[in-house]
Formats: sequence, structure tokens, C-alpha cells
Amino acid sequence: MLQFVIRRIIWTIPVLFLVTFFTFALVRAIPGGPFDFAGDKSLPPTVVKNLEAKYHLNDPLWQQFCSYLIGDAVCRPGKQNGVASKGVLLGDLGPSFRYRGRTVNDIIATALPISAQLGFMAVMLGMLIGIPAGIIAALKHNTPIDYTATFIAVLGVSISNVVLGPFLIWIFALKLGWFPVATWAAEPLFSNIAEKYIAAGEQVPMWVNLIPKPTKEFFMHAVLPVVTLGTALSASLARLTRGSLLQVIREDYIRTARAKGLRERAVIVTHALKNSLIPVVTILGPMFAGVLTGTFVVEQIFAIPGLGRHFVTSVGNRDYPVVLGTTLVYAVAIVIANMLVDITYAWLDPRVRLE
Amino acid sequence: MAALLEVKGLTTQFFTQDGVVHAVNGISYHLNEGETIAIVGESGSGKSVGVMSLLRLIPQPPGKIVAGEVWFQGRDLMQISDDEIRQIRGKHIAMIFQDPMTSLNPVLTIGFQLMEPLQLHLGMDKNQARKRAIELLEMVGIPGAATRLDAYPHQFSGGMRQRVMIAMGLACNPQVLIADEPTTALDVTIQAQIVELVKSLKEQIGMAIIWITHDLGVVAGLAERVLVMYAGQIVEEAEVHELYSDPHHPYTIGLLRSVPRLDMGKSKRLIPIEGLPPDLIDYPKGCPFAPRCEYRTEKCEQEDPPIEQISPTRRVACWHWETVVADIREKGGVYA
Ligand SMILES: Nc1ncnc2c1ncn2[C@@H]1O[C@H](COP(=O)(O)OP(=O)(O)OP(=O)(O)O)[C@@H](O)[C@H]1O
Ligand code: SF4
Ligand SMILES: [Mg+2]
Repeated sequence: MLQFVIRRIIWTIPVLFLVTFFTFALVRAIPGGPFDFAGDKSLPPTVVKNLEAKYHLNDPLWQQFCSYLIGDAVCRPGKQNGVASKGVLLGDLGPSFRYRGRTVNDIIATALPISAQLGFMAVMLGMLIGIPAGIIAALKHNTPIDYTATFIAVLGVSISNVVLGPFLIWIFALKLGWFPVATWAAEPLFSNIAEKYIAAGEQVPMWVNLIPKPTKEFFMHAVLPVVTLGTALSASLARLTRGSLLQVIREDYIRTARAKGLRERAVIVTHALKNSLIPVVTILGPMFAGVLTGTFVVEQIFAIPGLGRHFVTSVGNRDYPVVLGTTLVYAVAIVIANMLVDITYAWLDPRVRLE
Repeated sequence: MAALLEVKGLTTQFFTQDGVVHAVNGISYHLNEGETIAIVGESGSGKSVGVMSLLRLIPQPPGKIVAGEVWFQGRDLMQISDDEIRQIRGKHIAMIFQDPMTSLNPVLTIGFQLMEPLQLHLGMDKNQARKRAIELLEMVGIPGAATRLDAYPHQFSGGMRQRVMIAMGLACNPQVLIADEPTTALDVTIQAQIVELVKSLKEQIGMAIIWITHDLGVVAGLAERVLVMYAGQIVEEAEVHELYSDPHHPYTIGLLRSVPRLDMGKSKRLIPIEGLPPDLIDYPKGCPFAPRCEYRTEKCEQEDPPIEQISPTRRVACWHWETVVADIREKGGVYA
């Protein structure tokens, strides 16, 4: 098992390198540059020139890529004017071109925890509702319960967040006034640690921001965006679980279990569920990775300052380091999620375990 | 002596979108204590559905047992409650299936699956069940039984898995073992081993066996009595040697001609039965074998022949069986 994990980690190195390389190349291929506009006005050419020099944008591309990866000290020896970078390998994702004075590390450390909180709760909600609903629908196959559940699931999958979000806001925030209209209200659980960093004028580390204080305020703000995001997730999990369980129930070994005289409940719980969750686990990995790293639409609708917004706006702004940084976060999340999926897989399915 | 199992007019249908599939159409037979009977017939003739109906194991819906009685230990298995039938399954009547590769649960250990019926029906605790499971694996000839309990099915070969299935079936010393084509999916040499294993286990345990196969070759050394099924009906019943030496139903004759026999000279070629079995949704009015039968007459196409007791050990469902028998005798046997 350990060997399996180590092998997987080693494999991720070339994957992440390629992701970085292609993102770097592609983002430079977008027409226009990062300093074309400041707000609505265009900048004077001399200012643009100075800025481009400051961020070494006039150096050969290979040199820029090299510095991005392993830092200015190695790739730009002697030319350490402007903004120096230590390189991605040492965890320095560089400065943002747009948000002057902020580094990409700062932006991620502030925005990723918010997206992760939202995404985690949404996936949990999706699993808590979707998997049991799928199981019940499968067990009540072709009954009104199944039809109702399937109908709701299809509705949930097809209704867009763009529609559901504003709709929920309209009813539950504006009409009924049960929940706040927008924004996120997470305070770090370890507020004393956070304050120490703030007092020292430093960026609060990501893990401190990640764990929220479970206040009423926090949950009230979370309900609508989590439900918006979780609806589609639970709907697709319900459909997948139902289909998978229905298939497993037709397997020969289920007939064997019944022929032994087992109760229907034992047949389902011991013989069918584990098998039927194997495909569900497969989808959970990418689902987690996609949602934890930010969802543009929901964050936009609810004015949540998560990573999803940065991911999209940075492309429009040609804020190269932010594009690269957020893409890398996403890639790392996918890699980790898939690794966890493989481990769960091995635990569920002995045929995988021994390879 | 009353029969151990008595099946009367069992009728099972599947209600599908295309129409009603007449899978089993009023079959009646009995099984005596300690006896082995074989059910033979082409694919789709209702052998599996017929025996699965005995334990109410057909998928419902779309399947439904629309008529019939199955008497076992003074009770009609078709009428008792779901709880009661579960007490019968695996304990008094056990079943093993055709494909050992798919009949064991891939994510549970062999030991777990083997111990399940022991804990369920015999009230054993984990330790007792484990001990007994090892004995059972030894009994079916699995080497290193104690160490193999924690293995998973994919670590076993097909033949070994079928041995595990047999061990599982016999775990509670059932009075009846139903074996639904247990050797079809296996290599020829493994097939013979499994047949020998079941024979020797039968001598030890003494259960009655219903052995399903579409291979008449296997039947000879194993069963005492044979039921021949066609299109969901029993068309002939006879003792094994009678069936081979003097078949009465044209379908049985066709079946005998289409299987290889060891005592058959090389010069004799196998003759498959021409044509196809009838559509079970659009079930024919007359004899279901009529379109493929060389003896058919007008009557055959109009009326379905009932199964008739023609001697203490024989039944046949054919209007013209006497003609058929006379014809075969005159020709000098089935293979002439
Ligand atoms: N779940 C089902 N739904 C619809 N029809 C079914 C179902 N199960 C079986 N049947 C039909 O019942 C008929 C009898 O099938 P059965 O499995 O008993 O045949 P068999 O004699 O065991 O054949 P084989 O030798 O291939 O195992 C077939 O026509 C089959 O299509
Ligand atoms: S009843 Fe007629 S058609 Fe049917 S098997 Fe006998 S002779 Fe052939
Ligand atoms: Mg069958």
C-alpha cells in the first residue's frame, strides 16, 4: 500500500510539470497583456514599459519559465532588479500583476479556504442526500417512490446554479428573510493565532483560515450557497448510486446470497452496497477537487470571495501568475483527490488491492 | 413412501414490455429422498426458471409464479410466508449455479461467504463457523483450507470456486441440492472432477439432487431419472437407461443424436436438431415441438399433447409416441 502511494506521488511530478508548462504557454498566447488597462482607462506606454520591466516580461520566455519554476537566483543570475521570485519549487507563486502588492500565495491563502469550506459542505450535503436517496430509489425500483426520486434528481441535475441560486435568494433571503442574501462569514477557529499574524503584519497561514469557527453567523451565510451547489451534486450522486445498485442487484452473487436464505436487508447491506459504491467513489474524487477549489458561478452569485472568481477573472486580466497559481492548485487538488479515490478503491475492491 | 419434494402444475411467467414470456408451463414431477434426477433441455427451455421457482428465487417483477404447488415437508412452498421460505433456502434446499466466476461476491472473503449460512441457519458463533468452514473446504478438496478462508474469490480458479459453491451449498446438510448446470462453464477435465466430487459427497451426506444440464453426456453416470424439458414443459420422463436405450419423444431422440457419446463410432456424425424452439411470448397452440418434428400430423398442430403416464416409471407428452417408438425400433436405434 505504502509503495502504491509513493509510486503515485512520484507520478504526479511530471504531471504537474506538464500542467505548469502548458498553462504557462497557453496563457501567454492570449492576446493582450496584463497592463493594457487599469480599470477602464488604458495606461500610458511609459508606465506599461516600466511595469513590464519590473516583472521581467521582456526576457526570453524560456528564462521567464525557468524563473517561475526554480527562481531568479538560478535563472537570472546577476539581474536581480525588479521583483525577485524564489520559484514554484520553493512554494513561491510570484506576485499578482493586478492586485499590486499582493502575492499569489496571499490570494490563495485567503481565497482557497473559503472555497474549500463551501465545497466541502456542498459535497457532504450531496453525499448525505444523494447516496441514501439513490439507494432508496433502487430498492423501491419502479414504484412511485422511485419515480419521484428520479424526477427530482433529473430536475436537480438539469437546473442550473445560475437559476437555482437567485431563485433561493429571492425566496429565502428576500421574501422570507430567513437567511442573508450573500457573502461568506467565516472566522478562523483559532482566532488568537490569526491575530498574532495580523498584528505582525503577515499573511495568516492557509490552515488557520481553513478551519471556521462554527458560529450561527457562519452557518446562516452558508446555507443558501451550499444548498445551491449541493443540489446538483446530490442529484448526480443519487442517479449514479441508483443505477449502480440496480445493476449490482442483478448480479449472480446476489442470487447466491438470496439462495442462502439471507434476509433482504442483509442481502443489500452486506452483499450489494459495497459493490455498488465502487463507481460512486470514482466520481467523488473529481467532484471534490472541482468543488473544493472554487466554483465561479456560485461564488459570483453569492459574492463569496473564493478562488473560483480569481480563477476566471485572472484570465480576463491576463494576470499570468494568478492564472498559473490557481491552475496549479486545481491540478494538485485533482491529483490528491484521485489518489484518495484509488486508496478507497483498493479498500473496497480486493481485486485492485493485490496488483 | 411420500416423495421428498412434489411439484404440481408449476407455472412461471415473465411480464415484460414485449409481452408475457411463458417460461415454465405447468410442470409436475417429484423427487424422492436421496435420489438424483436430471433435468435436460436446450437453452431457454425453462430449466433454471423452473428450479428457481421452487425457492421463489425468480426476480419479481418481472417474473411471477402464476400457478402450482411445491410440497416439501408437508408444506406448500408457494404458499408459506417470506420468512418461512428463507428458513428453507440454504438450510433444507440449497442451490448452486452455473457460473462460479460470477456467483461468489468479489468483495467478500471466501470464509465470510462460507460462514454466512452456518451462522444464519445453525446459530453458530464466529469460531464454530470458522472451524466448520475449514472442514467444508477440506471436504470439497481444497488444499490448505485453513489458509484460504481469508482469500477472495478472484484468487481461486473456476473449478476451485465451484468447489467453494458446493461447500456453501452443503454447509447446512440440506435434504435437497439443486445444481443448475454447475459444470457448463468449466473445462472438460474439471467438469469430470466436479461430477465425481458431487457423487462422492452424495454418498457421505445422502442428499437428493436435482442436476440441471443441457448435456446428456453428463447425465448417464450421475442421475437415476431424467426429465426432458422443451419450451417450458416436461415432454418426457424416464429412468436413465430407458431414456438412452428407448427414447419415446421425438425431441429426446433429437437430443440424443446431437450429443457425442463415448461408445459411438467415429463414423457417426452428430446431427443437430433443425429449427428453433418456439417463441415463448407468442406460445404456439399445438405441440410446441411440431415445427421441428418429423412425425407431426394435423392433430399436433391443433392440440398440445398432455403428459401421459405410460408405465410406472415413464411419462411422455406426444400424440404419436407409439409410432415413434415403433419407427425407431424398426430402424434399429436412434443412431441408425
Ligand atoms: N428475468 C427475466 N425476464 C424475462 N424473461 C426471462 C427472465 N429470466 C428468464 N427468462 C426467460 O425464460 C425462459 C427460460 O429461461 P431459463 O433461464 O429457465 O432457461 P434454461 O433452460 O435455464 O436455459 P440455459 O440452458 O441457457 O440456462 C427464457 O426464454 C428466458 O428468456
Ligand atoms: S405431438 Fe406430434 S409434433 Fe409433438 S412431438 Fe409428438 S409427433 Fe411430434
Ligand atoms: Mg439456465
